[in-house]
Amino acid sequence: MTEELNSDETNGLNLLKQLEHILESDTLIDEVGFIHPSQFAALNDGSSDDSQYDSTVFWNKDNKLAISTDALFPLYNAAKHTFMTTMKLYKILISSPGEADTNLDGMVTGTISVSGESLETEVMKHSKALLLLSWDFGTAWNSRKLVVLKKQQFLLFMDELLLSALILSYSPKSEHAWSHRRWVIKRIDGKCPNFQDLVERESELVEKIAEGKGNISLLLTAFSVEFLQKSKMNYRAWSHRCWLIAYMTKEQVRNELNKSRKWAELHVGDNSCFDYRQHLLHRMLEHSYSKLDPSGSSYCTPDVYHFWMEELDWNEMLIKRYIGRESLWVHRRFLSQFGLKHFCFTDGSWYPCGVDIDNFVRGEFQLFQSCLTISDTGFEDGQAQGLFAAAYILRVSKQLLNSGAIELQEKLRDLGALKTALNQLCPEKTLLWNDLIGGVNNNL
Amino acid sequence: MFSTFSQLKSLDEYFLQKKDSFESVVMEHLRMNGAYWGLTTLDLLGKLETVDQDKVISWLLQCQDESGGFPGNIGHDPHVLYTLSAVQVLALFDKLHVLDIDKNDDGSFSGDMWGEVDTRAATYGSAAYDIIDTIFCCVGALAITGSLHYIDKDLLGWWLCERQVQSGGLNGRPEKLPDVCYSWWVLSSLILIDRVHWIDKGKLAKFILDSQDKDNGGISDRPDDAVDVYHTYFGVAGMKNSRVFSFLPNEVDKAVGVCSDTSGEGREVGLSLLEYSGLKAIDPAYALPVDVVNRIFFSRK
Repeated sequence: MTEELNSDETNGLNLLKQLEHILESDTLIDEVGFIHPSQFAALNDGSSDDSQYDSTVFWNKDNKLAISTDALFPLYNAAKHTFMTTMKLYKILISSPGEADTNLDGMVTGTISVSGESLETEVMKHSKALLLLSWDFGTAWNSRKLVVLKKQQFLLFMDELLLSALILSYSPKSEHAWSHRRWVIKRIDGKCPNFQDLVERESELVEKIAEGKGNISLLLTAFSVEFLQKSKMNYRAWSHRCWLIAYMTKEQVRNELNKSRKWAELHVGDNSCFDYRQHLLHRMLEHSYSKLDPSGSSYCTPDVYHFWMEELDWNEMLIKRYIGRESLWVHRRFLSQFGLKHFCFTDGSWYPCGVDIDNFVRGEFQLFQSCLTISDTGFEDGQAQGLFAAAYILRVSKQLLNSGAIELQEKLRDLGALKTALNQLCPEKTLLWNDLIGGVNNNL
Repeated sequence: MFSTFSQLKSLDEYFLQKKDSFESVVMEHLRMNGAYWGLTTLDLLGKLETVDQDKVISWLLQCQDESGGFPGNIGHDPHVLYTLSAVQVLALFDKLHVLDIDKNDDGSFSGDMWGEVDTRAATYGSAAYDIIDTIFCCVGALAITGSLHYIDKDLLGWWLCERQVQSGGLNGRPEKLPDVCYSWWVLSSLILIDRVHWIDKGKLAKFILDSQDKDNGGISDRPDDAVDVYHTYFGVAGMKNSRVFSFLPNEVDKAVGVCSDTSGEGREVGLSLLEYSGLKAIDPAYALPVDVVNRIFFSRK
């Protein structure tokens, strides 16, 4: 049965055909932008050479694609409608393959063919167009998984990574696009000859997207300012990178630790990269444990220990250079916890890859004292530094209560001073400080 | 004072899906969440009866997939995230019985509906907006299963309190901007572990109120941004949690418009000014009004 189409719908379907034609003829598009119609004149520059599409709506050159914001609404409606109709047919086909042809005959409208093969091509074509316009349309992502899984061709999996990367380049926080990548990677693990290279490129992609270096150079869209804001502190991107660690070799983990140091230094306000380094350190520790002989005769893990020591020094250097940055202190908190658990000992058994716990505590108190001095200057950053340092020391103290650190017992005799400092620096959290310090006192 | 809900007809349109812009249709895949956010906000305000519930429920049942699960909208694939929202909406209307529970052999709500659905929802039901909602989901799941003793409450409470920044708002991670929606994630978690007194509630309430559109109603992520149904819900729910309403009536009077649209943009949202009639209490683990949760528990066999 053929429905009557009104002129808006016809227009939408025409636009969709043009878009899909562009996507089929230029499979290497790496940049998409939605731009205001007035910007087309400048882009076209009088040299529109493809009569296959309306040059006031689309622009496609050098693997870049621009779509007029005026066309988005009809285009989306047509893409959604066409996709949903195709998907309905495809679902009938796969649920009852034998009877499919007879079932479908009654439903097919002129343009859609009934064979399974071509229906799959249609699903892929329409879902791609739809996802470019509406990237969190989960049903469309699912349909692609269904088809790719059925075909089991390696290149099709690779195409999925490309489509997802294209979408992430202008929608860097699309949960579905990230999750689609994880699905692909899980599927090709063990079946792909250059899997470790792929993992490495994947990690680089996250960094590129987290930096906001998605492809917005050419198409200055109305959304570009918003885009830059969106790409900052991208939790989903960094979670994806943390997830990826499980697929890395020992060597790769080490390389990632070295490579991401620079990035972290340039983005001290973004705790994501520090969080990533924490996951890497944990992974490194796991690798080194699995190396040990089953009798467990040795607890020596020199490589991790040295990385930890370096990280601690590096973090202190950053803390002193960038005053009052919360992310740096949160990272130090992790490092001290990590170190106290694995590398700090009281009985001299620590050599050659451990430190004496009293020495460690002394060092941390020195850092605290020096930061407290800065907070006296009255500047906001300095005050923040003092507060973070005091809260950090309170945290370390809480952790060390039962460790037998002699140095600490002496230091903590004067908890009153710490309490005064905290209440002065952050009076609105008085109840918190009192409860926490009370808790430490009771356990001394 | 406006007559209440003169503009709520847009809520009807919301379910009829009469949309005429790209911005509004492009979010249609998560309409089920929008329905939950909008309707729960209305119920907290004691205004749920102004909605045509037959229309909502008929739309909702049209959404249901043959597997038993619910999608974000008619014809989409089901997901536990939307299934939770659908069940919550039905619970609000006291219509849980419309679900043919035996039919769902995929386990989405077989057996003890609440234990099952909520635990899953608390575990999976978040799109992980940030680490904070993951924490909320874990704490919520532990609370529902009676396992809160596994948590170091002081340590978690301390970290949650550190989310409060100078302006009084809460952020999701260190050095991020504060956002009204964290009022819900952080406060609920703090209440569940009994550490909510560690936070400066007065300052938080002020931050939420500063995030309202005082002319048209509705609440945004932070002061001077555009309002939407998501943040309106979390703002209202969060304010109830912070238990600061004794000094709010006048403010709420102007403030709490309820939206009708899930476009997330709030552009063509028909916001209405409500007469303040007090807010209902909301359950921090189930994210439903307390009376709705009680109704379910006490009617269970």
